[in-house]
Amino acid sequence: MRLSDNHADIDGYVIGELDPEMVRVVEEHLALCPGCREEVRSLREVQRLLASVPMEAMLDGPPDDADLLLQRTLREVRSEESGTTGRRTRWAAAAVAVAAVAALCVGMLVGWSTADSEQLASAAPGAPAPAPMRPGTRFVTAQDPGTGARLTVRLVPASGWVRLNAAVSGIPAGQACHLVVIGQNGDRETAGGWLVSTRAATMGVTLDGAALMDPAKVSMVVVESTNGSPLVAADV
Amino acid sequence: MAGPKARDRRNMADEALIRSLFNEHGKAMLGYATRLTNDRAAAEDVVQEAMLRAWRSPDSLINSKGSVRGWLLTVIRNIVIDRARARNARPPEVAETQNTVPVERDHAEQVVDHIVVLDALERLSSEHRDVLVQMYLQGRTVGETAEVLGIPSGTVKSRSYYALRALRDLFPKRPTGMEGAA
Repeated sequence: MRLSDNHADIDGYVIGELDPEMVRVVEEHLALCPGCREEVRSLREVQRLLASVPMEAMLDGPPDDADLLLQRTLREVRSEESGTTGRRTRWAAAAVAVAAVAALCVGMLVGWSTADSEQLASAAPGAPAPAPMRPGTRFVTAQDPGTGARLTVRLVPASGWVRLNAAVSGIPAGQACHLVVIGQNGDRETAGGWLVSTRAATMGVTLDGAALMDPAKVSMVVVESTNGSPLVAADV
Repeated sequence: MAGPKARDRRNMADEALIRSLFNEHGKAMLGYATRLTNDRAAAEDVVQEAMLRAWRSPDSLINSKGSVRGWLLTVIRNIVIDRARARNARPPEVAETQNTVPVERDHAEQVVDHIVVLDALERLSSEHRDVLVQMYLQGRTVGETAEVLGIPSGTVKSRSYYALRALRDLFPKRPTGMEGAA
């Protein structure tokens, strides 16, 4: 028995649909062919990742008969809220998640803390940076006279990608936004998205994100609505 | 210092966050927690804790439905593991049960895996996604998947090949030797 010319048997091998004789043929081929070996390895990795996700992940909607659970959670939130005047990150594991996601450098926003006016000011150009500045760090800022949206971004270069810290204000509550990084050649990388909360609409919001783009090639950072209309754009 | 009106607005936003987590992800969270704990009351406690952690730490809510769900499910798993560890730290009162969840891999890695997979699955066509969900999340064979989805086995096979590759291409490349990832 021979391997098919289009290597369709490799696919059958990956999903475990071959008879033992064909499995042997494919494995003999794999032993000699690094390209097919790599193909099988990468598809097996996808299978492993898929199998690690709980089957319940595909269930949508609220749980049945769990109204008391919602009420209990809301009560807990109210009682914690009344005991504090401001909320800050208190959960260490979140930092682990943030670090892990940043390490992947996919286009995700991993920060979402409501900024007060002091924080916004500290992110403005010329203001002292809260942490030692990495060489090549740049600040840009812009305000759109039409929409009233204001954006201040700190761009920190990394190896082949760029880390962003953005302070955004002047966007009404309920607006879904994307933070988009534009390259000199017109490339677009979405660094993430968020829904403007009531609090963020009045006080602004700061966001941390990352974009897989050469820091030297970034030409603009834009906040736009999820349907693509720009709200504010800052030239870099 | 926030005035009463600002505090009211903040409270409304906080409640809206909890309600939206509950309405969008509640079934997935409670279903998963119930399977891990084998105890509905304990599962509800775990889900409550997960939603409170999300509320206390909105830094971690990421930009797509799949990402948020991946984060919540990982948090649930970790709460269950932490509680099992706390139980195991005490002198054993009864024989070990199957409920003890083994710690398989590093927490941060698992967070990323779930977030990345659910985010990428969301972007596949529904035909491709359905096949992968049946075969890998539900653990069904090609024949069972064909029956559940009402399509021929040959179609299940060919879709699964394309879907696995499409999903692979959606995954970000793992960084190697990248600086300053923390």
